Amino acid sequence: MQSIVNAISHIYQSTIFLYGLVLLLVYAMLAFFSMLGVRQYARQDNDYQLDVLAGSGIVPGISVLAPAYNEGLTIIDNVRSLLTLNYPRFEIIVINDGSTDNTLEQLIREFSLQEVDFAYHIKLKTQPVKRVYKSTNPAYSTLVVLDKVNGKSKADASNAGINAASFDYFLCTDVDCVLDKNTLLELIRPVLQEEKKRVIATGGTLRIGNSCEFDEGVMTRMRPPRELLPRFQEVEYIRSFVLGKMGWSYINCVPNVSGGLGLFDKEVAIRCGGYDHTSFGEDMELMSRMCRYAYDYNIDYAIRYVPKTLCWTEAPNTLEIFKRQRIRWARGLAQLIHAHFHMFLNPKYGKIGMVIFPYNFFFELLAPVVEMLGLITYLLLALLGYIHWHNALLLLLFVYTYSIMITTIAILWDQLTFRYYKTWKEVLFLCMTAFLEFVIYHPIIVYFSLRGYYNFLTGKRVTWGNMQRQGFGKK
Amino acid sequence: MSQIDNPTLSASVETVSSYLETAFTSVKAATRFLENTFLNAPITIQIAMVFIIIAIVTTALAYISILRNRYRGYRTDKKLARLCPRIDNLLIDEVLSHPSLQQHVPPDEIQLNIAPFEQLPLHRRWARQALTGRIIHFRRNVRGNIGLLLRNLYMQLDLDNDTLKKLKSRHWEKKVQALTELTSLDMFISDVTILPMTNDRNRELRAAARHAYIKLSKNEPFKFFDIAKEPLLMWDQVELFRTITSTENIAIPNFARWIIYSGNKSVISFCLKLVVYYNQHNAVPAILRLLETKDHYLRADAINCLGKLRARIAEDKLVALYSHQPIPCQIEILKALGRIGSGEHVEFLKTEFLHATDFDLRKHAAKSLVRNQWVSDHPGDELLSSVSQENLRILRHCMNPLIKY
Repeated sequence: MQSIVNAISHIYQSTIFLYGLVLLLVYAMLAFFSMLGVRQYARQDNDYQLDVLAGSGIVPGISVLAPAYNEGLTIIDNVRSLLTLNYPRFEIIVINDGSTDNTLEQLIREFSLQEVDFAYHIKLKTQPVKRVYKSTNPAYSTLVVLDKVNGKSKADASNAGINAASFDYFLCTDVDCVLDKNTLLELIRPVLQEEKKRVIATGGTLRIGNSCEFDEGVMTRMRPPRELLPRFQEVEYIRSFVLGKMGWSYINCVPNVSGGLGLFDKEVAIRCGGYDHTSFGEDMELMSRMCRYAYDYNIDYAIRYVPKTLCWTEAPNTLEIFKRQRIRWARGLAQLIHAHFHMFLNPKYGKIGMVIFPYNFFFELLAPVVEMLGLITYLLLALLGYIHWHNALLLLLFVYTYSIMITTIAILWDQLTFRYYKTWKEVLFLCMTAFLEFVIYHPIIVYFSLRGYYNFLTGKRVTWGNMQRQGFGKK
Repeated sequence: MSQIDNPTLSASVETVSSYLETAFTSVKAATRFLENTFLNAPITIQIAMVFIIIAIVTTALAYISILRNRYRGYRTDKKLARLCPRIDNLLIDEVLSHPSLQQHVPPDEIQLNIAPFEQLPLHRRWARQALTGRIIHFRRNVRGNIGLLLRNLYMQLDLDNDTLKKLKSRHWEKKVQALTELTSLDMFISDVTILPMTNDRNRELRAAARHAYIKLSKNEPFKFFDIAKEPLLMWDQVELFRTITSTENIAIPNFARWIIYSGNKSVISFCLKLVVYYNQHNAVPAILRLLETKDHYLRADAINCLGKLRARIAEDKLVALYSHQPIPCQIEILKALGRIGSGEHVEFLKTEFLHATDFDLRKHAAKSLVRNQWVSDHPGDELLSSVSQENLRILRHCMNPLIKY
């Protein structure tokens, strides 16, 4: 009996050790690749090139899609922010997804909108579009507003926007996000610069705008969030975008282009069925389907990331809203893996089947489960007195210092290239957050992820939910 | 002995010896730790220990790098914030407001007052670079004699030596920077220097060299079209288009030459755009020949070009081709008929609008009908009342001046 217990214990230890080691090596690899990616970007970055692009008459057009649901508090500033985008050929499509507040009325009043007969073609099935508005003011000639029946998901609203889009590329964002004025120029650049592949999506870095200063929807002063919860999210975003996604982008293995900011090839997006309105992680789901479509139809594709911060979003600053968001994300991940499991370790799907899916499965989906199991085992062994405390603390210290190192490297890449934030104190303040993240933020994330998986397994009904925005600069 | 008696020195010696002692004790403690703890620990713990040290050292180095980078950036910003307004004032006073400019004296005969510029810290490379940057900035915003005067200033201050050094650098980004500077200032570079770079393996350098060649070559600025092996990326086309269309005194050739003979599809596609920009109607026969190409993307580009040139001569051929074209080409044909707007193929457009199954075809047929003034000249109430709801909406969409696309 003892030998069986020993054998199980040995297998368990070895598996966990191997799991941890591979995860840490993956992070080290991402840190290295992201360094190469960020350096490559910095070498090519040139304001003059953006000027050339901004003044060109031969660039592809872009449709900017901004779904809005009960965004009355911020809608005017946010649409104004979108109207300041610097690009020679674009349109802005605001999709009022059946808001119950005065979002639409505000838009009509502020932008002199008039109902028009619009040749709306249903390529992707959505809830009906009731009316389409255009502005009578030539200053807002790029603005189109769709008023549709609420589809209970951002995906449905985005699909309606894709149906109405006139151009070959569309940028999907949240209407509460504030975009940098050069966002379209920055995101189309990888599409135009790609030599052999077809770029089906491009993403940019998102940051938390809670403590930044904005003037009529334009970011004027970048600051790390003052409150702890949004600050944790800022650190997480830097790590995820600058280190994670840039690293994956370097080897053309980007697992996801964020729903907050992503430029997509409209033809591929439509052909693979657009956003899935039943998914809780519709951005990641679309990306997986687009990749799958590309493999099925032999399209040599690429997904690229830009390390420059192009979008500021309002992060949840209360635990309740944060919980809803993270549970939804975790459920979306579980849905995604379940729906596309046939791609898992399937060589037919190349990098997505052999790299992205296994990574998502083992180190994104299973990580909270492994951590929870580890914690339970740890407590159990502690109660039974089997813990070698000296070694256990060393291992804990190892994970702790490693996680701080990875976060600090992400901040370093960000700082070396862009030198965001005005003072060094703000940067230091952000660096110090990494010390608390492991002990406060991470356990919360693990807990919410497990709740998301539980909801997925039990099929609990959850709606899109209002994120209860406070609006930038109005707190 | 007298030195040892010095109390300051003896205190220093004591301090050093105490440091040495501490260091020695630390080394001993580390050795003890290595013998007792590290070597006796299981392999996993040994790995963990190594990683802890790596993580702590890397984190500390990262902090130092962040602080160092910020400090250097802060210093650079401060220096430039002081220097750039001085440069700008000098450029305005000594070049832009030069009295001879008002008297229409040729720039080559104008004597610039260099002395105030020599007060700048031009012995520093960063200052020279800042000055070059400001000269280029001003030059991009002015034309004519002032631009030439700025160029003269650049040469008189020997700033071109720095640029030429960069052009010989092993680093491609330095070469690109040099080419951009030389191009911005219309400085001569020999063909033998640039031409090899137009086929360089590095995409950025290749693109910069092509722009430089077009802008600066005194012989045949479009010669590289003949030797371009790699495809011109869309990005290259955007930059080249800007360079070609904004360069003064450039001899514009007949682009039909490459439309007929080039084996590089991207060069042909790019030439079609230039044909449209320069309204080269004499290229129409070459474009009509291109309609026979098997590449339907290129064919669509050719049809688009014919439409933009309003080549009435092409209308019948386009209509004849229509039925066996893929949808992108059919859309381009409908758009072309709208742009040409001769009114001769209204019936064809009407048939497509009423009977095509594809939504985009109907929409573009309707747009072209509107452009052919069919709607205003022949209101066709009967037809309007008989079309389906969807077609009516399409028609109203196309007729609404508020809707652009």
